Amino acid sequence: MRIRRGAPDFAIILSVMLLISIGIIMVFSSSAVTSQQTLGDPYYFLKKQALWAVLGTIAMYITSHFDYFRLKRIANPIFYICLLFLVIVLIIGSSSKGATRWLGIGSLSFQPSETIKLAMVIFLSKILSKKHGQIKSFSKGVLPVLGIMALVCVLIMGQPDLGTAIVVAGTTVLLLMAAGAKFGHLFLIALAGVGAVGLLILVEPYRMERFIAFLNPWADPTDTGFQTIQSLLALGSGGLFGVGLGASRQKLYYLPEKHTDFIYAIIGEELGFLGGMLILLLFIIFAWRGLKTALGAPDNFGSLLAAGITIMITFQAIINIGVVTGSLPVTGITLPFISYGGSSLLITMASVGVLLNISRFSSSK
Amino acid sequence: MNTNILMRKRIAELFLLIAGILFLLIFRLGWLQFVRGEELQQKALDNRLREVPVEAKRGVIFDRNNNELAVSISADSIGVFPAEIKHSGKAEEIAKKLAEILQMPYDKVYSLITKNSSFVWVKRKVDFEVGPQIKQLNLPGVEVIEESQRYYPNGILAAHLLGFAGIDNQGLEGLEVTHDEILSGKKGKILIEFDATNREIPEAVHRYIPPEDGNSIVLTIDETIQYIVERELDNLIAQTQAKSATIIVMDPKTGGILALGNRPTYDPNKYAESSQDTWRNIAVSNSYEPGSTFKIITAAASLEEAVTGINDRFYDPGYIKVGDRRIKCWRSHNPHGSQTFVEGVQNSCNPVFVELGLRLEEKEKGLFYDYIKAFGFGQKTGVGIRGEATGIMIPEDQLKQINIATIAMGQSIAVTPLQLVRAVSAVANGGKLMKPRLVQEVRDKDGNLVQEFPPEVERQVISAETANKVCEILEGVVSKGTGRNAYIPGYRVGGKTGTAQKPGPGGYMQGKYVASFIGLAPVNDPRVVCLVVVDEPQGIYYGGQTAAPIFKKVVEDSLRYLGVTPQYDEGDKNEKGSEAAKQLAVPELVGLPIVQATKAIQAAGLRYEIQGEGTFVVKQTPAGGAKVSAGTKVILYAGEQESKGGKVTIPDVTGLRISETALLLEALGLELIPVGTGEAVEQDPIPLTEVPKGSKIKVIFKDEKVVETLGP
Repeated sequence: MRIRRGAPDFAIILSVMLLISIGIIMVFSSSAVTSQQTLGDPYYFLKKQALWAVLGTIAMYITSHFDYFRLKRIANPIFYICLLFLVIVLIIGSSSKGATRWLGIGSLSFQPSETIKLAMVIFLSKILSKKHGQIKSFSKGVLPVLGIMALVCVLIMGQPDLGTAIVVAGTTVLLLMAAGAKFGHLFLIALAGVGAVGLLILVEPYRMERFIAFLNPWADPTDTGFQTIQSLLALGSGGLFGVGLGASRQKLYYLPEKHTDFIYAIIGEELGFLGGMLILLLFIIFAWRGLKTALGAPDNFGSLLAAGITIMITFQAIINIGVVTGSLPVTGITLPFISYGGSSLLITMASVGVLLNISRFSSSK
Repeated sequence: MNTNILMRKRIAELFLLIAGILFLLIFRLGWLQFVRGEELQQKALDNRLREVPVEAKRGVIFDRNNNELAVSISADSIGVFPAEIKHSGKAEEIAKKLAEILQMPYDKVYSLITKNSSFVWVKRKVDFEVGPQIKQLNLPGVEVIEESQRYYPNGILAAHLLGFAGIDNQGLEGLEVTHDEILSGKKGKILIEFDATNREIPEAVHRYIPPEDGNSIVLTIDETIQYIVERELDNLIAQTQAKSATIIVMDPKTGGILALGNRPTYDPNKYAESSQDTWRNIAVSNSYEPGSTFKIITAAASLEEAVTGINDRFYDPGYIKVGDRRIKCWRSHNPHGSQTFVEGVQNSCNPVFVELGLRLEEKEKGLFYDYIKAFGFGQKTGVGIRGEATGIMIPEDQLKQINIATIAMGQSIAVTPLQLVRAVSAVANGGKLMKPRLVQEVRDKDGNLVQEFPPEVERQVISAETANKVCEILEGVVSKGTGRNAYIPGYRVGGKTGTAQKPGPGGYMQGKYVASFIGLAPVNDPRVVCLVVVDEPQGIYYGGQTAAPIFKKVVEDSLRYLGVTPQYDEGDKNEKGSEAAKQLAVPELVGLPIVQATKAIQAAGLRYEIQGEGTFVVKQTPAGGAKVSAGTKVILYAGEQESKGGKVTIPDVTGLRISETALLLEALGLELIPVGTGEAVEQDPIPLTEVPKGSKIKVIFKDEKVVETLGP
């Protein structure tokens, strides 16, 4: 690895910064009225999100200057530490809304399920790049990866956090696909995944309700279908240009999780189809430039790592927007770069920093 | 490198997959925002908008001179937004204050203001000092909202015509309900956007759809004449203790109702405090037997069909036989004997009218009934009052001769007071039957004419010539006949009295009468037709004694108010002559049984008082033949007949039943030998014969079906 460092991919920086800026504005717009009424400060979430964005930018800067191949060496400890956090959170984590997700005190708290995502992508990239000769073998190439995924997913479901588990599982499977696993194997895994999700839905009554509500949200508009309906009402009110920045009505207590999981609905309402499409186009640019970085990476580890980070972020975006547009059942997952959430933004930006670092070694400029 | 190529291929495929999914999401977004956009937007709006109705101001009801009879005044209502109250955290304090000022129980107020609703009325249309009091407290979530309330400035005046409007300004009774569409206008509304916690969204959509105020209606009612009617109704009830009473005054030329009132009545401002029975407008919803007042119709039809001339002579033996029945004249104890048609009307002689009815039927089957229908009986007048009755008429195919005979004198037919007024108005209006009118104009809130209801002639029932003749004959009834108590010096008044026994289950009810008087004035150019109906007067029950004096007062005051100059003829100018015209001769009553004497006094238009105990009149003051004014009280001294050397004079027992006859004769010390059953028709020895005490008197009773009649 004696390739000279070049400039990081500008399109990735631009798309990510645009997404984060839109995110900060929309977090403010969607939360201002309610935080004024409940917390007495309309800027409460704006200030926090902006601060985290600054911290995230610093993190991104640092990781973009930390040569990625050195991660290979510390991939195992990072993964094990994060795995340990995941176990600890189940024991002493603080709860909110029926789930135990947070570790730490006050503003210094973070979600281990966020850190495990990046740690796992690094860890799997390392394994897969080492075993690239065995990838065609199910038992030697695919199965160990699936085992790790299963362990992580089980721990995450212990919180429980279905959304993150789905992201972890999806990212793993897509990473296997990128690594060259047989489509036959991938198909079987997908089948097993659908079965597992189906089982999880059947086990938990609230997931069953959510799933039924997804199929027909209007059947129970005040309870299980409520979130989906309010989200659709927000989007539908937007039209081409939207009702105007700050003019959303659905954010006035109608739409729950309006500045986190359902922020995309407020974007669709206030900024209309154009705003909503812009977000999707920025994610397409991000995916394109991220995967282009993967293609141009000097080694397999870099390729897989770049692809893994890109997949992790865009896959989460797809799931989130799929939920908001009523295309998928409600899972409870944030929109990367945009939704309010400090540690999540920090980790995501650090991940982008890693991606940028890989892009600096790209051969195909 | 082999795997590296595969990996590159896979990563490129991954991009296509991800980009494809993201494009699908763009498509999904467009679908939601464009294809389903309108539907979702409407649903979102419905979700957030709350409607607060804004009442329209109800139109004014004016009398014909633009005096306000019903107006809308503003009244404060107290409403709350429970979410705001909850938010303030002072629900208990607010409930306490409101309960105190509104004088409502605390628990009730508290449950209202904490109701899970976006808006709740606590109390509507409160007293005028309460609104500002609450406003001053500036309680969070409590609103003082101006609403309008119906107010009837004259209280009970024309209550049955106006009716009333309820708390939501909706017409509930009378013209308020029949003309509700005109008066109520269109409600407006304020659409307010609320957030999910029922808080009003600042700077949100506030669509104000202003209400359209109702139009006003101008009645044919004249406030002053209505006032006169209300005053006289009070007098009438005070004098007669009647169960109910009605007075209607109509302008015969236009069919316009100038005044209409009933007793019992109520104050529409406090309608809820009166029993619902008092809300009924009996002038249009009650049917009653008109009795002799209906003879005007018989007379008019008879003259028109020329079944009698004015001077044709009739003979009244005290009764008339129709088939196997005998119809008595009201003065059967002293039959009218030979009289002209005009005198017959003046005397209200039953046999004359029975004869006329039968002559009409003889001339053409169904002819009399056709006239009755042409005069508007048996059908609604279409005056526009809810609950109008059609009256009761025997179906024509079941009509028997006896029915025609009794209908001719106003029995076996039931009419509403308004039907009768309208029919007599046709006589007063040259034979033209008018459609009765109550509303003459509709105006918008600025007073511009919207719609006009001009007088409508329905049909010419009788010729103008006949109509004028009838009017003049009716004048004779007042000046010389049974309607003397309606005489007004200076005005030519025509009219007819009526007294009917009220029908009940299984026949007529003893002691329950409907007394009435209908008349018109001035005869040469009638300006008003007035009907006075008294239901179940206590004591004196003859129409001539109870209704006629009231008619006189109503019509006299109305004519003066209308500016009709009194014209005194020679007789009137001479005050003595004027008095003389009203002087009545006291009948000779000494020796008559009390039963018969009291009937005779009432029939003569006098009152009586009985002193002492006994079966016979032994003395009377004033004496028989003395001239007194109408209504004078004759004192009858009761006692037993003096025996003149053990002899007694046999009284006339005709018409008495066996038990009555027996009692009377026993009191005289005579013995009754009854033959047959029913009413006494013959006796032996004949009346006035002097016989010794203990004599046997043979009386023949016949069980004839006698039609109960009363008069005049």
